Amino acid sequence: MIELRKVSKTYNAGTVTEMCLFDGFDLTVADGEFVSVVGSNGSGKTSLLNIICGSMPFDSGTLLLDGKDIAGLKEFERYRRIGRVYQNPAAGTCPHLTILENMSLADNKGKRFGLSRGVNRARRDFYREQLRVVGLGLEDKLDVEVGALSGGQRQAVALIMATLTPVDILILDEHTAALDPHTADIIMEITDRVVREKHLTALMVTHNLRYAVEYGNRLLMLDRGRIVLDKAGAAKESVVTDDLLDIFNRISIECGN
Amino acid sequence: MLFFSTTVDGLQMGLCFAVLALGVYISYSILDFADLSVDGTFPLGGVVCTIFMLRLGVPPLPAVFLSFFAGFAAGAVTGFLHVKCRISKLLCGIIVMTALLSVTLALTTLLTDNGMTTTIFSYRSQKLTGIFNGALASRFGTAGRDYVILGIELVFVIAVKLLLDLFFKTKLGYMLRATGDNEKLVVTLGKDVGRYQILGLALANGLVAVSGALYAHLYMQYDNSCGSGKVVLALASVIIGLAIFSRVRFVRDTTAVICGAVLYSLCLNYLVLVDSNGIYLKLLNAVLFALILIFHDRITALTARRVNARKGAAA
Repeated sequence: MIELRKVSKTYNAGTVTEMCLFDGFDLTVADGEFVSVVGSNGSGKTSLLNIICGSMPFDSGTLLLDGKDIAGLKEFERYRRIGRVYQNPAAGTCPHLTILENMSLADNKGKRFGLSRGVNRARRDFYREQLRVVGLGLEDKLDVEVGALSGGQRQAVALIMATLTPVDILILDEHTAALDPHTADIIMEITDRVVREKHLTALMVTHNLRYAVEYGNRLLMLDRGRIVLDKAGAAKESVVTDDLLDIFNRISIECGN
Repeated sequence: MLFFSTTVDGLQMGLCFAVLALGVYISYSILDFADLSVDGTFPLGGVVCTIFMLRLGVPPLPAVFLSFFAGFAAGAVTGFLHVKCRISKLLCGIIVMTALLSVTLALTTLLTDNGMTTTIFSYRSQKLTGIFNGALASRFGTAGRDYVILGIELVFVIAVKLLLDLFFKTKLGYMLRATGDNEKLVVTLGKDVGRYQILGLALANGLVAVSGALYAHLYMQYDNSCGSGKVVLALASVIIGLAIFSRVRFVRDTTAVICGAVLYSLCLNYLVLVDSNGIYLKLLNAVLFALILIFHDRITALTARRVNARKGAAA
């Protein structure tokens, strides 16, 4: 569970370009929730993720992960309990390492990286099993360098890696935005399957309203640092893309990517 | 005959610089950090090794190993300046290199009996026997000595190579590779990128110092100016080695780097044959490096045999 209480964030404080983004922002994401966040550019979606992950400091307020205050933790310390898939498919994997080596790195998350063997051959079948879920044939490419894979395949590997070890929350940062429409659909499908099978709590930022409507069990819309729409459960089921578009006709999105 | 002895000299030099190149391979290729402190840590290794042998009576081989730690510490300082003080990579190297010029100079004062330095310090002594001049070498006489030196160097370099290969198969080794490959991933794995950068630079400069120590052994002297131009030499070796050999089947990067160092040193020695006065040596040196960089891609294409599958992991 992740809680933001009265979080405030002002950019360029004290200068002419001062811009208050969040002013007493509250958000609670309960365990097992798969939240889609939509909003126009500058609405605070990415800032929200960056504040949670620690890549951006905030001015005041409380940030709790499973009831513990994580505001004082450094970025890398927070990621011990957080998984993240980035927009750029290259960001979640090491291009010069093979899939097997990448998976081994991810598998060891939270443990010590010492002088024991980096790749545990006994885990090969386990990795294969994990990759098979994706359905892209990656399980037969364990010894291929990730740099040789397509963007979609890389993003699939990144997703599996981010969820290989237990995480309190999975952050999906526009993770389909750099992919072609078809591949984006596949990755979104895989994401949904992985989140459900592993009972993950997920926070997904997307520009694709269709994904926000079709996937997840809660929908948030942000505008200038405020939540303007928050539908969960049955209320979310009744939302259709056109409704969102109506409320939101000023964002530039291509429906269906 | 001249050509032959030049080749032998080149091979000896090349194997000595192979250790240097392996160090720079770690900082430049693996960590993606063009580390200029190399020009300072190379003589540092030489002087530390010499002090251990001449002042403290440490046997030659342990003295070489001890010089590793001097370079390790200096490399850690470079890393610290970059990671904790947020100074750019290039400047960290320049700062440490400049500082080390004084450090090595100060250390050389330990080598004179009366504690005074001469203006151009160049320590030459018959007392410095080195690891290449043991009983084995004397048995072979002067002609055989060159081959004994080559043999010892080869064993040494292969040992370093195998240790590095092993290291890069460990979890820590993979983490260093990940640090150079994708810092963001290391962060999302919950690890401090800075720690790995500092460790990698320390390790790299440790090897550079060992190479400096070997150099002192090879020429039976320690010279304070021996560090100048070592960055360029090492970078050229690494780039040439990887361009020519890394795409050849069953050749690991470490082997490629060693071959690159030997090849480049041979070329440098042959240049001496062309330019016996040594006036244009540095110019030719630079031109050679530039040519390699220009034709880098074509060289790689010529030797490329394997596709994307990695030979090591396929099993």
